[in-house]
Amino acid sequence: MNNPFEKIFNYQLSSRLEETGVYTLTSQERSWLKSMLEHPAAREALEPRTIAKLQECVLDDEISNLLDGLEQKAGSLETQIVHPLLSPIRRILRNRQGMTIQCRTKKGKLNEPQPGIPYKLEYSMVKREWYLHWYNSSTRSILHTRLCHIVSVEQSRVSRTSYEEQTVRAQKLFEAPRHEAVVEVIRTFNAELTRILHAFSCFDKRVEFDEEERTYRIHLTFTDSEGQFVLTKLRFLGKRVRVVEGNYLKYRMRETARKALALYGADAIETSDSDQSKAAEGSAEVQKADQSSSSKLPSAIIVRTKIPG
Amino acid sequence: MAKESFDKEIQFLRLLALTGGGYDRQQFAGRLGISVHTFDKTVRKLREISGDADFADLFRYGYADSAEPVLLFLYRAKSMKESESRRLPLILTALKGTPQTAAELLDACCERLPLDAAMPDEKTIRSDLRYLEEIGVVRRETGGRPYRYVLNNDLTDCLSQKELIDLYEFVDVMANTQIPSVQGYLLRENLKKALKSAVPEEEWDDGLLEPFSYKYHYDARILDEAHLYTLLRMIHLRKRISFQYFSPKNRKSYSAKETNPLFGRETEVRRENTLPLKVVYDHQYGRWYLIGAAAKGRFVKFRMEGMIDIAEEQEAPDEYFALKKKQLDEQMRHSWLIDTGETVTVRAKFYRPRGQADFIAERVRLQGQWGEIVEENEDFFIYEIQVNGVTEIRPWLRGFGSSCEVLAPADLRQSFIDEWKEIGDYYE
Repeated sequence: MNNPFEKIFNYQLSSRLEETGVYTLTSQERSWLKSMLEHPAAREALEPRTIAKLQECVLDDEISNLLDGLEQKAGSLETQIVHPLLSPIRRILRNRQGMTIQCRTKKGKLNEPQPGIPYKLEYSMVKREWYLHWYNSSTRSILHTRLCHIVSVEQSRVSRTSYEEQTVRAQKLFEAPRHEAVVEVIRTFNAELTRILHAFSCFDKRVEFDEEERTYRIHLTFTDSEGQFVLTKLRFLGKRVRVVEGNYLKYRMRETARKALALYGADAIETSDSDQSKAAEGSAEVQKADQSSSSKLPSAIIVRTKIPG
Repeated sequence: MAKESFDKEIQFLRLLALTGGGYDRQQFAGRLGISVHTFDKTVRKLREISGDADFADLFRYGYADSAEPVLLFLYRAKSMKESESRRLPLILTALKGTPQTAAELLDACCERLPLDAAMPDEKTIRSDLRYLEEIGVVRRETGGRPYRYVLNNDLTDCLSQKELIDLYEFVDVMANTQIPSVQGYLLRENLKKALKSAVPEEEWDDGLLEPFSYKYHYDARILDEAHLYTLLRMIHLRKRISFQYFSPKNRKSYSAKETNPLFGRETEVRRENTLPLKVVYDHQYGRWYLIGAAAKGRFVKFRMEGMIDIAEEQEAPDEYFALKKKQLDEQMRHSWLIDTGETVTVRAKFYRPRGQADFIAERVRLQGQWGEIVEENEDFFIYEIQVNGVTEIRPWLRGFGSSCEVLAPADLRQSFIDEWKEIGDYYE
């Protein structure tokens, strides 16, 4: 039976076990693994021999057919969960070695092989794709390359000192400057706050509530490369939110609106009072039970205006 | 004894994950609908479980880059008697490698428990073994009485060091990219320990434990897995359920039981009653829904995060359940998420970016679900989809900004014009 609140997972027990080096494996963990072994990704990630051994060990554990009652919606196509290059690159990372890497550009042009140091393998839950963050030793710059653009990668020997020097340099470059922006939830949409917060929940953020104005402000911190996704989220939420601090985002949103209206050309000039988008968005009307109005707020709420850092 | 519930803890952790710890105690308590005192108690308990000095730190700066599931500790909250949490490690240690009988285990416990501790009897040990066998942690060896038991760690014991590393990395990827993930994360924790004991100290590298990182994760999604199996089981058994429901639009997300005189009168939350048919996970927001059939057969949708105190009710007849399930599947065939309303055809024109790789087409292909490209040239393509209502697809289309022009239906097109005007006005 799948009960994620099993006694064996208790924190006191697990911290006592930690000291002894003994660990326990429950059948619910094994049956989870059993269902994952049936996923095509297993064959990419594990040797056939390993899969056979594991399957032998999970024979007695039932795959729960309960999952038939679960459906996933609005996800991206899962093109690749495990990429064949993950394992060779992990090996180079573990060996703390350099590499010779040859990639294609986004447009398909083949680049010359480059010397470099792998830094980090990262999976984007949005693009459903793997990226290699690496340091190019000849141009002394950092790159983020999609694994599907890598044609070949081979380990190359570098001395421990050189490896460490380059890693330190790479680390500095990867500590990208972070931007801050403040996004305000337009008050008429306060009732949709949880959805809006969910949309931003994959970013570094802090929410502040202004009692007098009954306004929620979301303080976002993000790097250059995340900026594009922040923009997508802002457009996604549309008129529910407004950027109040962050000139670049403001500029981009203004441009988007201007260009979008230009697309609609003549139609856009006729003004319309119709406003069908008032209904809650993102999901069809969810069950009623809205007894307390979101405008009533407890008097004890304290105003916070400080921005960290 | 009443079944232990973690509703309060879950609601608090969700609020914490969503707000990044930006509220103060009073704001938190106010939103949870509990007193500051109860709030403090909840936080104290969670702090003890997580071993973390400061909760706000959990969601601070850079946490999003880590593969560690920050909220997993919730699943370590099940309470346990002090004596049990001392006895079980002794039993488990003794069972590692060497099969033992209950009597031998009793000796081992008595030998190693501190003198002032209450000594267990053989009956207690037998019941411990029954529990451990039931959850699959120990295995009874073949052969007659007295039975011998051994720790069942075959899964890791049968692997070479390299295979163990491969397995760890596989579990890391799957737990982070697939749902459900709680069992995967728990397994990942145990495999960490297996790795530590398998890899010699001089070869050890902390990098082994965090091989990959994952970007744009919805951390709070694992909180809903607390109720997931209860609901899935009810669906499987065709049982109706009743529960307290707090609509997401409701400011308070949890209300204390009536045993708390402070909130006794204020919180007369109606209990909902429904026949659960399907759980839906929405990748767009990282949220969960339950869809069921209400008393008169109408489909009702609930956000799982608003459901607490779920109770099993009577069973529904086979044929009725099958009929409703079939109707729902049919109606949801064109749901972008969960809308079961009327089907409309949405047509949109997507403009390809100039002079760079066509990331627009790629995104549409990746996220456009069952929609199709019906016309294309080198400047643009036209995407068409049959979808239930326009409400759920609208944010996705809008996310493309000025690369997407809605062509039909006309009222959707008009609402985009109106909305872009309004957004433009925000930044004038």
